[in-house]
Amino acid sequence: MRQLFLPYIIASFLNWAVSAHAQSQCIADAQDWSETALKRSLSAPLGLPPVLHPYDNSPSVAKIELGRKLFFDRRLSINRTMSCAMCHVPEQGFTNWELSTAIGVEGRSLKRNSPSILNVGHLNVLFHDGRDHALETQFIGPLTARNEMANPSAGYVVTLLNKLPEYALMFEDAFEAQASLDRIGMALGAYQRSVLAGNSPFDQWHFGGDEAAVSADVKRGFQIFTGKGNCSACHLIGDDHALFTDERFHDTGYAQLRDIERQNPPTSIPVQVAPGVVHEMAFSKIHSVSAKREADLGRYEVTEDPADRWRFRTPSLRNLTVTPPYMHDGHFSTLSEVIEFYNQGGSQISSQDPRIRPLGLTGVEMRDLEAFLQSLTSPDLGCLISEARVSPPDNH
Amino acid sequence: MNRREFGALVVAAAAAAGPFRAFADETCQSPYMPKITGQEEFVYVWTLGVEGMGDEQDKLVTIDLRPDSPMRGQVINSLSVGGRNEAHHGGFSADRRYFWTGGLDTNRIFIFDVHTDPSKPSLHKTIESFVKDSGGVVGPHTFFALPGSMMITGLSNDDDHGGRTALVEYNDAGDYVATYWMPTTSDMQGAVAVGDAVADGYGYDIRALIRKNIMLTSSFTGWSNYMMDFGQMLQDTDAMKRFGNTIVQWDLHTRQPRKVFNVPGAPLEIRFPWGPNANYAFSTTALTSKLWLIYEDDSGEWQAKDVADIGNPADIPLPVDISIAADDQTLWVNSFMDGKTRLFDISDPHNPSQIYEKTIDRQVNMVSQSWDGKRVYFSSSLLANWDKKGDDDVQYLRAYTWDGKELIEDFDIDFYKLGLGRAHIMRFGSSELYTS
Ligand code: HEC
Ligand code: HEC
Repeated sequence: MRQLFLPYIIASFLNWAVSAHAQSQCIADAQDWSETALKRSLSAPLGLPPVLHPYDNSPSVAKIELGRKLFFDRRLSINRTMSCAMCHVPEQGFTNWELSTAIGVEGRSLKRNSPSILNVGHLNVLFHDGRDHALETQFIGPLTARNEMANPSAGYVVTLLNKLPEYALMFEDAFEAQASLDRIGMALGAYQRSVLAGNSPFDQWHFGGDEAAVSADVKRGFQIFTGKGNCSACHLIGDDHALFTDERFHDTGYAQLRDIERQNPPTSIPVQVAPGVVHEMAFSKIHSVSAKREADLGRYEVTEDPADRWRFRTPSLRNLTVTPPYMHDGHFSTLSEVIEFYNQGGSQISSQDPRIRPLGLTGVEMRDLEAFLQSLTSPDLGCLISEARVSPPDNH
Repeated sequence: MNRREFGALVVAAAAAAGPFRAFADETCQSPYMPKITGQEEFVYVWTLGVEGMGDEQDKLVTIDLRPDSPMRGQVINSLSVGGRNEAHHGGFSADRRYFWTGGLDTNRIFIFDVHTDPSKPSLHKTIESFVKDSGGVVGPHTFFALPGSMMITGLSNDDDHGGRTALVEYNDAGDYVATYWMPTTSDMQGAVAVGDAVADGYGYDIRALIRKNIMLTSSFTGWSNYMMDFGQMLQDTDAMKRFGNTIVQWDLHTRQPRKVFNVPGAPLEIRFPWGPNANYAFSTTALTSKLWLIYEDDSGEWQAKDVADIGNPADIPLPVDISIAADDQTLWVNSFMDGKTRLFDISDPHNPSQIYEKTIDRQVNMVSQSWDGKRVYFSSSLLANWDKKGDDDVQYLRAYTWDGKELIEDFDIDFYKLGLGRAHIMRFGSSELYTS
């Protein structure tokens, strides 16, 4: 039955991605997909630097296979409903298109948008607020957070894995040892570092020298990105490759704007009740069915340094067309909303980063900038999805 | 069929089968099932556990309805099943000896024995492997009895917790039989989209009209939405795009989808009338607040059209459960946001009109009525994270008598005061069913 399902989701994914660029069809081989993944994680797809694997966690086929299985295993949550992949959905750019902010065990709310796992192996600063630095430790957060996978303890998960015979074999294969917290982290790290997606039309043009890879509007958009828009001041582009992030924290004004809205809700908001049918709903009614929304102070929540209030990590801009919605709380559904936000100069609150200022872009310039952002999507995502789904998730 | 014809039918049925047996049940259940046409003796309430309240677990609560019982109108039993599973709907097996209930979150299915002692159900079996058995279906919702088996609608899937889902069939022993995925634009499975319908693959309720070999399914939303905070979802423009807009017509016997109708705004409950010539069903759309008629036209083709507004759709009253009277003349429609029940005259199904309304409380969800329509029961909970917050979060089962003009309160059970939790689906029991 699942066979019916897979072509459907891949088709719907491709429909989405096709709006930007054609995706190559790619069916992973159930036997040797992990060889391909390993080779990828040791190579550097066009436009990306080589992945720096930790010295004590060099990748292997066995670790990648184990990491993939762990990533999709719904049994690794208290009530067997959540896996990492329920929030980082392969067909949805390894994030979730259907939610602004993530939902975990028992429907509990997170205040932030799920970031994509694509190219996460290149980051040294993890989470929107940079509170972790390695995939080897990052996973403990979601495993035990009450609003994510809600396990009673990390040790509980280790014990569970050691009781499952199929895992005993895989840990033995990968580490010649039984499951431990470190080894879970190493396997998840090895798998996620294989989920690389470069070689975008932009890369083929800018780094590969193929003039025909992108259209004239993309090239003009690149000029705006690096010139009038000054986007590349934070979304960095290097000489040989580009991650589109400085991995630093900035106050773009966005978080303050969102907090002002939170504290001063409008009297009504538009609610889409069916395609093309929108009603204004009184906020008092929405309030009657709402739990309290938390503030999000960003980097400050990690450092408690007042200077870090409202600062968030600069995200990469690769594969944006397959990772909506945008910003740390997913409030923008489209790239044109993000561009509009920058063009108006962010929040225009004085404390925001001075590089965020009214840009005075024309309509054509904004469209060119958007075309440029769309050219950053890799054509190779089909392979990553297919590898991710080589076998169905564990449920029981 | 008018009221007089219906009366004749009931008399004929009663004569054939004795005082407690007839063709039909308290309304809205599978037509394959034996019926309670007299006094219901118990109501079973599938109840959601609440953190910090009582034992915090989901439970099946039994309330005594026997007119001469000293415990009438009170909770006489409560059976906790462990965990909070997002208790939601349930249905009896075709022999009505077992009550199957589902957890929309954890996908557990609890099968209660209600025949050994109808006043005290016991847990007969728990199916833990629904997602695995079905090949990835999440959210067992409606339990619709077929002869020898149970047809279960899903609401979601384990690939993305979105709305794409399937029907899943188990046999009466609780063994998996088959999965039937809902048609989608990329895999119509031989079904045709009517007009501008877009096959979304979503699911919710299921009902069948046996003599026409028709099965209908409706469409709600996936796990991410039905589990999340309601107010947060209303403000999440991406989440609001993920609601079903279709009703699917199936071939009941072959389980093949035939037609996909455009029914925008999350059509939920589906109800067929009981009359021998009534070839139509009602549904309501939760978000767009409309009453829909799915009917067979003069040329024998099935069609769908909206036939009435429920309250003012622009206010988003959120119609939820509906209950059709056994004589097919009236339909109760509850709406969650304004806590109201409305009675529609459906004697002309193409032109229903509202004839009565009453506010039950700050929120209301389910409605069940006795076979004679004189006793009407309401319960309060929609979904754990959709229920109102603070003082508006009242949780109850409330019984009324209906005299044809007014709902008059009979008794009220406060589920919070008793430390039970959120009251959801109600199903009637009777010892008369098991004495032959
Ligand atoms: C309930 C949804 C949910 C689950 C389950 C979940 N994540 Fe996440 N993930 C998120 C959200 C939301 C963030 C951003 C959180 C923040 O910045 O505070 C995130 C961030 C991350 C990041 C950092 C990405 C970046 O750009 O910095 C990684 C890596 C990651 N998750 C991997 C995992 C792994 C591995 C698991 C399983 C062990 C997992 N996630 C389970 C929602 C989820
Ligand atoms: C001062 C540094 C800085 C500059 C200059 C800057 N950005 Fe950003 N950008 C950020 C930060 C920080 C975020 C994350 C903000 C948040 O989530 O609250 C971000 C987020 C984004 C996002 C959302 C990505 C996602 O996945 O959610 C896009 C798109 C984006 N920027 C594009 C641009 C463009 C286009 C420009 C130029 C017009 C630009 N940025 C200029 C720092 C910057």
